[in-house]
Amino acid sequence: MGAESRFCHVRGGRLLEAAQVTKTYRVGTETVYALREVSFSALQGDFIVINGPSGSGKTTFLNLISVIDRPSSGEVFIEGEPTSAQSEGRLAALRKTKIGLVFQSFNLIPVLTAAENVEYPLLLQKRPRDERQARVATMLAEVGLSDLARRRPNELSGGQRQRVAIARALVGGPMIVLADEPTANLDSKTGEAVMDLMRRLNEEHCVTFIVVTHDPAVSRYAGRRVRIRDGRLEEGERDGVAASTS
Amino acid sequence: MGWRLPLRSLWRNRRRTFLSLAVIALGTSVSVFVLGFLENSRVQIQDSTVQQFGNVQVASPLLWEDAADGYEYLISPADAAQLAALLAEDPAFRGSTRQLQFPGLLGAGKLTQVVSASAIEPGNGVLDFSDLAVEGRGLLPSDSASVFVGRSLAKRLSLSVGDAVTLTLTTVNGAYNASPFRIVGIYRYSNEQFEQQVVFVPLAFGQRLLNTDGVDRVVVALDSIASTNPTRDRLKAGLASAGLTLQPQTWDELSPFYKQLAAYFDALFGFLTLAISILVFFIILQVLTLAFLERTREIGTLRALGTTQGEVFRQFFAESAWLAAIGSLAGVVVGVLLAWGFNIVGIEWLPPGTIDPVLLASRIEPKTALVPFAVSVFATLLSALYPSTQASRLRVVDALRVE
Repeated sequence: MGAESRFCHVRGGRLLEAAQVTKTYRVGTETVYALREVSFSALQGDFIVINGPSGSGKTTFLNLISVIDRPSSGEVFIEGEPTSAQSEGRLAALRKTKIGLVFQSFNLIPVLTAAENVEYPLLLQKRPRDERQARVATMLAEVGLSDLARRRPNELSGGQRQRVAIARALVGGPMIVLADEPTANLDSKTGEAVMDLMRRLNEEHCVTFIVVTHDPAVSRYAGRRVRIRDGRLEEGERDGVAASTS
Repeated sequence: MGWRLPLRSLWRNRRRTFLSLAVIALGTSVSVFVLGFLENSRVQIQDSTVQQFGNVQVASPLLWEDAADGYEYLISPADAAQLAALLAEDPAFRGSTRQLQFPGLLGAGKLTQVVSASAIEPGNGVLDFSDLAVEGRGLLPSDSASVFVGRSLAKRLSLSVGDAVTLTLTTVNGAYNASPFRIVGIYRYSNEQFEQQVVFVPLAFGQRLLNTDGVDRVVVALDSIASTNPTRDRLKAGLASAGLTLQPQTWDELSPFYKQLAAYFDALFGFLTLAISILVFFIILQVLTLAFLERTREIGTLRALGTTQGEVFRQFFAESAWLAAIGSLAGVVVGVLLAWGFNIVGIEWLPPGTIDPVLLASRIEPKTALVPFAVSVFATLLSALYPSTQASRLRVVDALRVE
């Protein structure tokens, strides 16, 4: 299977766009730049890997494009909608309906079973019970965890937990899935399996995946590579073809 | 997930949950027991007050206001008959008796004692105190120069049934009068002062001694204590339309002691409830603050998934609501069991100023359970407001950073 065929071929408009985004923090009397005037966009079906060393601003960038944080300046657009001045409620609604998140430490709700964790976004979306059950069953089957649906997170391995987290991120039908170091807490073999799974789901669901990682091995799954260093973004190759810098 | 997540979160931290439940249950059970105890005491005093005064007494305003010159407050036989007719029409009316009270000096040999003679209708059944006799008997309709004295007075003057005593008094015309009496019985009462001061004589003989055919009051017994105020209101209207210048007073108006005591009990319970509520409030506040703090990352995750601040607040508040409901309910059960066990043991004590020991008991009824339940639920929910609000207002990025 060649690189071209591995990814979704449906290309829509810009789902996500960051325009001249800067994020600063105050440390004592000093202003520290976590991100400097970063511009970026993602299309439907993209599988983007953002690579960079620790402290380069990867997670800050992910927080901004997942609208769990606001930029100090610049703007983040979700489907063309500016977000920086939106209310907390509106941002929560965007995360609930358009964005799926996968965390480095899985971040499953410990008191809920695997199936209930996957069901949670659907509850937030107030989907009917029958639909919830059907979609949870489908998603768990897709990530290969149908048999472990009733297990609690502490009864699952790291790889299984991350699969549950991926199912949870996708079950609500988001346009974009943002993953922060999804393989960092997994051994290399399990990490590969998780990346294979995300790649397959990107292909099958045509959902945009943006994976932030410091692991160079993950880059080989990328349809498009972006490098982040010292708070600045450097565009890499798109599906093996050199791309222009954003 | 609405109820599952809060319940499971409580179950996850079982030790802390049980500690919280124990604190709430302990506070509630103590409240249930103490409120039951105070309520029982209040009802006992209420019953004995009604036993002493009847439900309602009707008399001239001059008597109630202590503004009479001599015996000008006396009710004439014609007015008493008109009043009796009015009372008979009242749906809650059970019976009435006329009374005439006057001061006198009771002499027995060389000993004397100032007394308040109460001339009553013997055998009336409404208020003749016959059932309180510990020696001899109460007054009978056939009695004439007979007296029924209290146990403390009998002891003080070394009196026995069958002894002769002399009662000296002033008639309504201001003349001195004295008459020998034979003691037909000795009564006991819960109040020592009452036993020493009040002696009962037949109404007809009392009227003859005072040289009057009037009475100073009519004591009314009703079918229940709850009927007191409605009957008082009906009586007021009836007396006014009949042109009688008489005024009804209820048992609690006649007994300032009861009113003060009831207010004291209310204040005592209020203070206790406040103290327990404050204790429950701060302990639960501490427990919930710690519990929510430990779950900062989880809160961040919930918010990152699109849970709104309001939904996070409701979720955490729901945990407290479960704690409040289960803890308070358990407290009511424990409190009721405690009261039940205490009542079975049957501990007695001697209240100040009383003669007979009183059974200590905690009254178990809906009011004594519901009030502490509601107060505990309220205190717990109040203590949850701050940590739930704090949890919902966490910045998502900050919460997700917490390990």
